[in-house]
Amino acid sequence: MAKGQVKVRRERSVPVIMRVLAIVSLVLLLAPVVVVILAGLNSGDHLTFPPDGLSLRWVVAFFRSGAFLPAYLFSLLLALCTMFFSTILGTMIALVLARNEFPGKQMARAFFMAPLMLPGIVLGLALYLFYLSSGLGLTRTMPGLVIGHVLVTCPYVIGTVNASLVGFDKSYEEAARSLGAGPLKTFRIITLPIISPGIIAGSVFSFIVSFGQFDVSLFLTPPDYNPLPIALYSSLRYTFEPTAAAAGIFAIFLVVVSMLITARLTNLRKLANVNFS
Amino acid sequence: MNDNKKLIQTNKFQLGLNRRQLLKTGAAAGAVSMFNINHAWSKDVMWDGEPFDADGATIRINEWGGFWQEFMTSNVIEDFEKTYNCKVAYDSSFPWFPKYVASGPKDPAFHMGNWNLNEIIKLGKAGDYFLSTEELKANMPNAADCWDFAFGSGLGVTWGFGQYAHVWRTDLIDPAPKGFAAFWEDRFADKRATYITSNGLFMTFFMTAAAEFGSGPDDMEAGFEAMRAAMPMKISDFTGNMQTQVERGEVQIGVQWEGEIFLQMDKGIEVAPLTWEQKPILTQTHTVSRYSDPVEKKLALALVNAKLSPEFQTKAGEAFYLRPSNSKASLPERLKNKGVTNTAGALEGLWIPDWNWYLDNEDEIVETVNEIFAG
Repeated sequence: MAKGQVKVRRERSVPVIMRVLAIVSLVLLLAPVVVVILAGLNSGDHLTFPPDGLSLRWVVAFFRSGAFLPAYLFSLLLALCTMFFSTILGTMIALVLARNEFPGKQMARAFFMAPLMLPGIVLGLALYLFYLSSGLGLTRTMPGLVIGHVLVTCPYVIGTVNASLVGFDKSYEEAARSLGAGPLKTFRIITLPIISPGIIAGSVFSFIVSFGQFDVSLFLTPPDYNPLPIALYSSLRYTFEPTAAAAGIFAIFLVVVSMLITARLTNLRKLANVNFS
Repeated sequence: MNDNKKLIQTNKFQLGLNRRQLLKTGAAAGAVSMFNINHAWSKDVMWDGEPFDADGATIRINEWGGFWQEFMTSNVIEDFEKTYNCKVAYDSSFPWFPKYVASGPKDPAFHMGNWNLNEIIKLGKAGDYFLSTEELKANMPNAADCWDFAFGSGLGVTWGFGQYAHVWRTDLIDPAPKGFAAFWEDRFADKRATYITSNGLFMTFFMTAAAEFGSGPDDMEAGFEAMRAAMPMKISDFTGNMQTQVERGEVQIGVQWEGEIFLQMDKGIEVAPLTWEQKPILTQTHTVSRYSDPVEKKLALALVNAKLSPEFQTKAGEAFYLRPSNSKASLPERLKNKGVTNTAGALEGLWIPDWNWYLDNEDEIVETVNEIFAG
């Protein structure tokens, strides 16, 4: 090699079988989304697939619906509240777990991640019973519902923030501290920008999970309020109209927008350590 | 109204002082909490049938959601809230059974409910949750005009009902099916449908099949044989799904209740009801929780009474094709033109399934039938 030249190591190409599996998996994951979108644009009277034809009538019906549009907006508000609290709480927990060694640390980690493994119905009922017996006044209230959602979404924030803390070079923080920055300033100027991809990813996941949460909401939703999943469930028991699928279109739209924002803000290459070029 | 309000407040104050004094002086220190005092009083609450000022109290109710909720809100609840100066907190997140059980009878999750009789009876077995039918009759003026069967459950008041029937496609089936047992004809193999075992319509279908082919509705083995003989058969989750399958022709004869069939007929779908000879009925039943606080209990009684009014029942018949349980309710045209009448003769032979028996045997029935459906 001549002086100044850099030896470039060629990456191995992905085996064909893996590419095929990846494409099949992607199709299987995306197929329900396509079905919901087409069912919501059905020109016929019922929720069927394939659709009888394409029409925006059920999308219009969604906007005019006294049940679905308020439910959609309520779910949006609930998911935003959940995202806010989950992000703060999840980040704090992740920092404590990553930065400290203490007896029972692994147990603590398992405890905080446990809601991911428990059935939502069990969590919802357990919380309902707890609220009733504790007399905290959280039964059938909005704060009680938000707490339930934070419980099931916080593990996502903990997971992603923890991932961004792996390999974090503490010498940056030490350097900032040695130059006179206090703990909060160090966190704000040094730590936060470095772990922000994990925080943003976690907060978007918590938003998405909260928006689609059904099991926990079934027990904790206050009267007169209906998150979208429950409104859809109630509606489909009695009428099998495509308005429910049209509502699904807007839910999918919200998720897609959230992921696009995440991708824009976080630079997915850093998270996945993948070379897209 | 102002004089009445003063009278109510004066009476309430006087009664309240007398009862509270008695209870406080009669009990050992700390032995009787305010919680128990309220509940002891709750048992004696009567409602005289007149509107009263609830002073902004909130009554919690459990009822179906979706269009049902919209209808109830605009036809009953909005006016009720104004008349009684109260707030109705509407919970449509079924299932309600675990919420009632979790709260217990003494601190009811809801003050009033509208739901299926099998769930009500199941909860009644779990504890003393509800006022009896005698107590309901004594506290609701409109109850006097209801048909006797409206109180046949013993636990609530049935305010609307409909008969079970097979829905069948008149353009796809010739000759027309005759009788309940027609469901099992060979020509309908894989073109007939019933419901999943957790659906109340399946439960009634099972008991009716047991009665048809066995010694009675409690002849479980006959019911199982009937389910085996009906396979292959489609299984729907809900009535909405059944409607869709019938309209698409995937199902030509299915288990339904007449209200859904009438709705389809009025939409121009070529279907007709084949009413079951055994005449079981699908019911909508109200319950009032026994241990609600006094004001909420009176509101619950008042709200149920409003649902028993002839005017409301006519509107409900118009919206949901439900037959009224009030003998004085006039039927909407869309029920009259289907041959429905609101007379004593029309109720002859009507049968409310024995939910006590079904619930006692539910585990075995569900397990066996699910195996049959799974093939």
